[in-house]
Amino acid sequence: MKVSYSQDEQRFQEEVRKWFGENTPAEIRDQTLGGSTLDPDLQVKWHQTLFEKGWIAPEFPREMGGAGFSETEQFIFNYGYSLSGAPRLKTKGLSLGMLTPLLLQFGTKEQQEHFIPDMISGKTVWCQGFSEPEAGSDLASLKTKASLEGEEFIVNGQKTWISMADYADWMFMLVRTDSSGKKQEGISFLLVDMKSPGITIRAIEALTDHKPFCEVFFDNVRVPKKNLVGKINEGWKIAGTLLEHERLNAFPIGELLYAIETVRKNAEKTRYRGKPLLQDEVFRRKLATLEVDCDSLLYTFFRILSQLKIGAAPGPGASFLKIYGGELYQRVLDLNLEAIGPYAQSWYNIEELGNAVHQATMGWINSRSLTTWGGSSEIQRTIVATRILNLPRK
Amino acid sequence: MDFELTSEHLLFRESVASFVKKEHSFNRLRALKDDPWGYSKDVWKKMAELGWMGLIYPEEYGGLGLDFTFVMVLLEEFGRGLLPEPWISTVLLGGNLVLAGGMEAQKEEIIPAIVAGDLFVTAAYLEDGGRYDLNFCATSARQKNGGFSLSGRKIFVLDGCSADRFIVTARTSGATSDTDGLTLFIIPRGASGVEITPLKTMDGRNTCILDLKDVSVSESDIVGKKDSGYPLLADIIDQATTGVCAEMVGGMDASLEMTVRYLSERVQFGKPIGSFQALQHKAADMFIQKELASSVVCYAVASIDEKTEERTLAVSTAKAKCSSAYPEVTKTAIQLFGAMGFTNEADIGFFLKRAKVTEVLFGDADHHLARVAAMKGY
Repeated sequence: MKVSYSQDEQRFQEEVRKWFGENTPAEIRDQTLGGSTLDPDLQVKWHQTLFEKGWIAPEFPREMGGAGFSETEQFIFNYGYSLSGAPRLKTKGLSLGMLTPLLLQFGTKEQQEHFIPDMISGKTVWCQGFSEPEAGSDLASLKTKASLEGEEFIVNGQKTWISMADYADWMFMLVRTDSSGKKQEGISFLLVDMKSPGITIRAIEALTDHKPFCEVFFDNVRVPKKNLVGKINEGWKIAGTLLEHERLNAFPIGELLYAIETVRKNAEKTRYRGKPLLQDEVFRRKLATLEVDCDSLLYTFFRILSQLKIGAAPGPGASFLKIYGGELYQRVLDLNLEAIGPYAQSWYNIEELGNAVHQATMGWINSRSLTTWGGSSEIQRTIVATRILNLPRK
Repeated sequence: MDFELTSEHLLFRESVASFVKKEHSFNRLRALKDDPWGYSKDVWKKMAELGWMGLIYPEEYGGLGLDFTFVMVLLEEFGRGLLPEPWISTVLLGGNLVLAGGMEAQKEEIIPAIVAGDLFVTAAYLEDGGRYDLNFCATSARQKNGGFSLSGRKIFVLDGCSADRFIVTARTSGATSDTDGLTLFIIPRGASGVEITPLKTMDGRNTCILDLKDVSVSESDIVGKKDSGYPLLADIIDQATTGVCAEMVGGMDASLEMTVRYLSERVQFGKPIGSFQALQHKAADMFIQKELASSVVCYAVASIDEKTEERTLAVSTAKAKCSSAYPEVTKTAIQLFGAMGFTNEADIGFFLKRAKVTEVLFGDADHHLARVAAMKGY
């Protein structure tokens, strides 16, 4: 076992810290706690900045456009990235975090060559079409239908909770190609151009007043057969692997570290009975509890990450990272609002506190989504119980 | 950074696990419940024959000179089976204090004897009113006849009923809560003025109250430097704390395994109760807590091995986590066992009691959280 860094790694740590300090635009940093509310244009701009630096995909080999970092370098990189206040990218999470490893495992060579480079450069933005009105946690009940006619699939149906569907160029989606057998059999995985005729999009307003996700309607949408990933009717297995990648990506380690720093700063600024709140015995204890839990998670994340090879499925272990990461993040943002006291009820910034108030309240509301999207914490706990602990299924 | 174990560590784990299985059982714990020692010298000698007392001691004193990761592996396995032999007190406290601070003559006399399994040594540093603070010391060491005279009372001296030697903290200068002015002395069990009162813990292990009434010691009984015993003690307690954390991780793992087995076998409403989501989700939470604790203990162990500057922070982070996770995991386990969990017939209760004892051993979660806050600068 080894915990300290070599001289080279220390130099790299300093380089990462310095680069993010100099290159993260303030307008982006101010929106970080808001998570998925970050403006899509800013996301794409930030994606391209990272791409130009060669740091957009720390885990991918250089010949693919990745940074080719070792596991330790990835850890150092992610840590420095997060602490700088630079936001994790939703665009990147979908395309590089989820779809790319999936295409490497199941896609054709043509699909890999056609789609991956543009995902890495940030030229194309992707969205994910899984959930439907009647298929949420029970994803396999999905009904959106694709029937093969010659060299094309004809897609009809409705998807919902699609993040950035109104902005994305492409969607990867699950469709029903056979309804005769068990519901898990008969699902296929398609890549769909969002400019295709027959697609209608309606954005949904969230509690944050933003419109982070959409409903998407498909009316006889034509998709070339070459955009099928894997074999027909075998999409469920592919989706399972992808959801594990999603859970690993859903784990908000970056936001967590930054959020803890934010709580600390807010508690330093807030006065309580003549002293900074940070010196209050009760508050200190609460913050230290979260720091300990955060470090425990950080080292667990590293332990799981180091077991992962590129393209390999993260396995059910990703579920518990998502459960705990999401719940811990909510606890941190609860404490962040506690830190600002009566300002916690405000929805707008107050001159003296800069952006802290709106960032705190917006972040707090946004954090409620972390334990539902990508499979609720309850579904994840069932996965841990049945697939890791091997408890009997119903 | 790397949390992988080498093949040597993995092989060692197998041999410790098979030893615990062969020499120990929960029925043995039941039999030892009212034993004044709470463990047996026979098993201790067998452990010594395998070289385990000298695991991390240098070869010149008969040890194996291995790294602290071996300690983690050993204690995780002890924690899984709840082996009661006093390895933490003798090797990580007593022996380590002598090794780190003792004079050559002290090392030569004490370390090989520990390695051979012939000597039990412990440390006596806690006092009533000081909670977990190592600097809190009202026990006095007054200069007398060219030596010192020690008076005071120590509580919860780990494995004190069976210890042959005590390394005690006493104040050679300063006020009760000062960090400076502490000196460590070795006192033999039979010294005049030493009184031992047994104080069994709820898990059947032995601790004692150690009363010192004008106990005479000489300069040559000092371990480390006069008036500067605190940093030495704090460093060794950090190591012992990391050891107990590893034991706690092993205990969490065994509690979870035992609970999952019970949930899979116990049938109600025509189904194994482990198929019910309300119970599954509690088991999932036990698993999560165990995994988190296990990772942060790896971080502490590696920090000790490499003597990093932030090792004290790593140790307190690990103990704060383990002191909240182990009790939580075992309380949930008792709940999931239902009425059976409340009986002495089921084995799971041993873990609840051990969790409470280890939760407070070397400081509870709040104690370590306060240290974390201070070290993080607030």
